[in-house]
This record gives sequence, structure tokens and C-alpha cells, in this order.
Amino acid sequence: MAELTADTVPIRIHRRGMPRWTMAWPALAWWTVFFIVPLLWIVVYSFGSRPGAEAPGPVALETLSFDNYRQALSEIFFRVFQITMRTAGLGTILCALFGFPVAYAIAMHVPARWRSILVFLLIVPYWTSFLLRTFAWRIILAPQGTLSDVLQALGILSRPLLILDSNAAVQLGIVYNYLPVMILPIYVALERIDTSLIRASMDLGAGPLRTFLQVTLPLAMPGLLGGLVLTFILAAGDYVVPTILGGTKGLMVGNLIATQILASQNLPLGSAMAVMLIGLLAGVLILAGFVLFVLQRLLKLARGAPL
Amino acid sequence: MAADVELERVSKLYGSFKAVDDVTLAIREGSFISLLGPSGAGKSTILRMIGGFELPDYGTVRIAGHDVTMLAPYRRDVNTVFQNYALFPHMNAAENVAYGLRQDGVPAAERRKRVGDALDMVEMLSFAGRKPSELSGGQQQRVALARALVKRPSVLLLDEPLGALDRKLRQQMQVELKLLQSQLGTTFIFVTHDQEEALAMSDSIAVMRHGRIEQLGGPTELYDNPATAFVAGFIGTQNFIPGHRLGDSLAMRSERGVVFEASRAIRGLKREAHVLGAVRPENVLLAAREPSARNRLTAKVAASVMLGDTMEFVLTLPDGRELLSRMPRRGVDILPEGAEVWAYWESESFTLFPFEDLESRQGKPWPN
Repeated sequence: MAELTADTVPIRIHRRGMPRWTMAWPALAWWTVFFIVPLLWIVVYSFGSRPGAEAPGPVALETLSFDNYRQALSEIFFRVFQITMRTAGLGTILCALFGFPVAYAIAMHVPARWRSILVFLLIVPYWTSFLLRTFAWRIILAPQGTLSDVLQALGILSRPLLILDSNAAVQLGIVYNYLPVMILPIYVALERIDTSLIRASMDLGAGPLRTFLQVTLPLAMPGLLGGLVLTFILAAGDYVVPTILGGTKGLMVGNLIATQILASQNLPLGSAMAVMLIGLLAGVLILAGFVLFVLQRLLKLARGAPL
Repeated sequence: MAADVELERVSKLYGSFKAVDDVTLAIREGSFISLLGPSGAGKSTILRMIGGFELPDYGTVRIAGHDVTMLAPYRRDVNTVFQNYALFPHMNAAENVAYGLRQDGVPAAERRKRVGDALDMVEMLSFAGRKPSELSGGQQQRVALARALVKRPSVLLLDEPLGALDRKLRQQMQVELKLLQSQLGTTFIFVTHDQEEALAMSDSIAVMRHGRIEQLGGPTELYDNPATAFVAGFIGTQNFIPGHRLGDSLAMRSERGVVFEASRAIRGLKREAHVLGAVRPENVLLAAREPSARNRLTAKVAASVMLGDTMEFVLTLPDGRELLSRMPRRGVDILPEGAEVWAYWESESFTLFPFEDLESRQGKPWPN
């Protein structure tokens, strides 16, 4: 048998040594420790009960029950959940309506050398704290604020602006805060579209609108869906914007949970609400995905087979 | 079905760069014309102006006698096979081909029949359900061709469609395209920088340089009677010998004082003009003893190159210049490197062109 030489050995080590997913370990470990484990604890807590005055720790786990869920399934939870879905849903739709044209303009009509500068300008606000920027809206929207004065001076409003501490202010704050989250993935998807495809579509007889609907939009769909899901999830779980701009009227589920955990010291009930929120959000997203799937199928059926 | 295409004094500027410079060109219906030239010569810009993707700054574009200069691409009876095929990645081959018919509202039954026929024509029927990413370059090319032809345009534009294919496939597609064109009778306008491709397929070739048409003619005419040294050098291979014309005769004196006789000089060539004498490698013959031909030189063999059916000899002249000689391989031995030979050619195969600096100008932008 031939002797093993230095030339033959390292190749074998390289081939067998490291499994492909070795590089994913640091991220996986981080995720497991700081995301999966706390989440599991929240689930466990949601079956516990408030500890007695003398007991150590935030939750008593001697007897596990569905009591917290029974308590959470109250009318107020569902009303607030409904408001949250409406605010987040409307906010997501508005973000898409405002964001898509911006992403489209940057990706399709701005020369390449200006694009990165514009994308940079989009994320510049993120250099300031989320909290500070949201507080700034209190100043802008205040009844005696600049916006109110300007609108009255222009004769658009006859009375001071009374939008602060309402649902409308929360809606506005959500659209403001999550617009870049919507724009960026759409921009990335649009920017990757080969412009010769647009030309090919026009060459084959499709005008600008048909080209947009049949070529540009379908190819941008992954980015648009990503933006929709990301914006919706972030908006639905938002707690800062309703706290700062919503007052007592603009309550969202995030506030409800925070109140239970921080103010009422009822960690088990807060946990149960958090688990329900996760479940309901997942349900809404699955439903939305299903509707989209059915629509796509119907569209395909209506168009007929090509051959 | 097919249509004439006319360009009348068309110019296109990018800033101060003249991509197309006052071009007038009439393309007869049903013909196969190639726009041939180095990159940056303006050939693709002309194609895009016919397709409607670029608007000329000056001039008129007519298709079938109608002024279409400002007409949007989707309103022209013209289809394009793009350089990178530009197949829609979210549709399979059949859907790609059906796309154009859907835009025209062709009824479903007829649409399905025409899509099937078009895919069958390019022998891609069995790949109808595949996405472009699941097709090879040659297959994508065929689908792109079917997609453009299924609309039965009166003019088909082809923007270097064979550039990405390997040599064998390219030659096969050349033959197929040519056959298809004569079957359909559609006007084909083909852009290429490959002179062999242009010679093999075209009824006529427009050789372009610096945004202008340098010469328009059939393959044989361009090869045998090039109008300028540039065309002579771009189509096929040439040996150029710089020198000065002897009076107004058909002879020239090279820089080393050797006199060569030509049978043809470009019209308008002045007395004692600075000239380039040109002879093709296949007309340069080799002999061991001094030949009787007037045009003869002693040379050293620098290399013998086997090209399959032909042999090419790279010769070094006493002044250090190179001379190429090419001949059928039958009966020719490989000459040893450094062998002393006589190179000679008949005056019938020697032409005098006005001098131009070919090396430095090729591919450079048009000077302002």
C-alpha cells in the first residue's frame, strides 16, 4: 500500500472535517440562548400563577392551569387586539402605498451613482433614537404646535389640531416609523430586475401599465411580501408609538401586555396575552398567505394555459 | 408581411459623443442585413432606434413607408431578440412565447396553436414547461427567437443573439436563422461584431465605424472590393504595407524603398499620396527560389500555424514587420522556424488605400 504523503492528507481533512452548517453555529447559539429560551419561558409562565407575597420569584409554577388564558380571553383583550390589527393592517397598507412608488423611483429612474446616497438618506433617521423621533411628533402634532398653527393660518383648520393622544396619531406614528422597513426590501427586489425585461415586454406589445402589472410587479413580489410581513409584525407588536402618541385612547396589545407585566406585576397573565398575540398574529399571516395563494390560482385559471 | 425599413439622416448623441452620425440606410423588405462593426460603432443604437427604445436626436425612421420615429416600442410591428435573451424569469418557455399574443388579445384557441407552432419551429416543444433558469444558453436563445417570431412581425431585430453561444452551436444557429429567414420572408436586421457571422448569413452588410456606415454591400463585394482600409482589415484578414504612391500610377514605394504593383487604387487617391497597400494572406505565396512576380520579398518564417484545413505562416520581413501567408494544407510542408523564403503575390490581389492609422483608432470614441 502506498504511503500517505503530505499532499493527500489535507484534502481528506478538508472534505470531511467541517460540515457545511458549521458557520451557522454562532448565530444559532445566540438565537437559542436569547430568543428561543426566553420565549419558552414565557410559554411556561403563562400556565403559572401569581406568587404569594412571601414566595420568591415572579411566578409560581406549583400548579399549572389555563386560568390566565381564561382571564385573558376577555372582551377588552379582543377589542384592543382588533384595534391593533386595524392600526397595524392599515399602517402596513399605507406604508406599501407610499413606499412602493419611492422604491420604484429610486430603483428605476435614479442613475446608479445616486441610488446608494438616496438609500443612505432613507436610513439616516434611524441614527436617532426611535423614542426621540416619536417624541418629536408630540411637538409637531401638539394643539399649539407648528403644524396646527400653519394649518390654521392657511385656513384648512378653524380650530387647533386635536390629533394627539388618539388612534389617528398612533396610525401616523406607525406609518412614519416603519416606512423605511417597507421601502428597503421592495427597493432591493426592484433594483435586481434586469431592465432588458422591461424592454422585452414593451417590444412584445405591452404598454407601461401592463408591463408593470405583468413583469415588474411579479418580479418585485418577494420584496413586497417581505416588506408587508416585516412591517405588519413590527407594527402589531409596537408598544412605544401608542404609549407616546396614543394616550389612553390609542391603546394597542403591546401596551396591554406591558401594563400586566410592569404595572400590575402579573407576569403570568401578561405571558398568556403575549402567547395569544403570537398565535393570533401567526393565524392572521397564515390566513393572508392562503388568500394570496387562492388569488394567484384564480388569476392563473382566468388567464388560461399558454399552450 | 415583410416591410422596408428606412433611416434618413439619423443621428444620436450621448452628450458630445456621436453614437450615430448622420446615417441614411434603406433596407429592402424580406432581406437579411447585418450591421457589422467594432463595439461602440453605433450598430446597437441603430437597432434600438428601429425598435423604439431610443429616440433619434435628428432624422427619420420609417417602417413600411410610415414614419415611426416617435412611436412607442409597443406600437411598432417590430420584434427583438435581445443580446441576453431577456426571457421573463417568472414564466416558463410557453408562457414567455404566449406573452406577446396575450397583449394583442389573440383568442385562446389560436394563441395555443401559435405558441405550439412557434415552439415546434425552434424544436423546443418538449421544453415548453421549463423556466428559463432550467434551460441552456442555446435553448434560451431558441425560446427568445420563438417569442419574437410568434407575433409574425414584419421586421425582426437581432442584437448579437449568438454572442453567448459556443462556436459549434453558433455556426449551427447561423444556418438555422438563415433558413428560417428565407422561409418566413421577414426582414431580419442583425447586429454583430463577428465578421464571419455577417458574411455567412447576410444578403447585405453595413460596416460601421464611429457612428457612420463605412460601406454597404453584399458579402462578396465587401470582401473583394472594400472601400477603405478599415473595411479591408475588418472583413477577413489583411497584410498592410505603408508607403507612398508613385505619381498617379498603380504602384507604390514602401518605406524601405521596395516598389509594389497594384491592380486597383481607391478612387480619388492623390498623386504621391500616403497609402496602405493591402494583400490578403491567402494571396501571399511562398517560394524557395526567387519568383518572377513583381511583388516579392525575402522573409523569415517566424511560425507555422496549423488551422485545420489551412496552414498559416507568420513571416518576419527584414524591417521587422510581420506578413501573413495562408494556403491549403494539402501539399504544404511545415516550414522550419527561421527558414529563408520568398514571399510573393500578383498585382491583381494588391490594392492601394488612402493611409489611415488603423491600430490607434480602432474602438476609440469619435474625436470631438
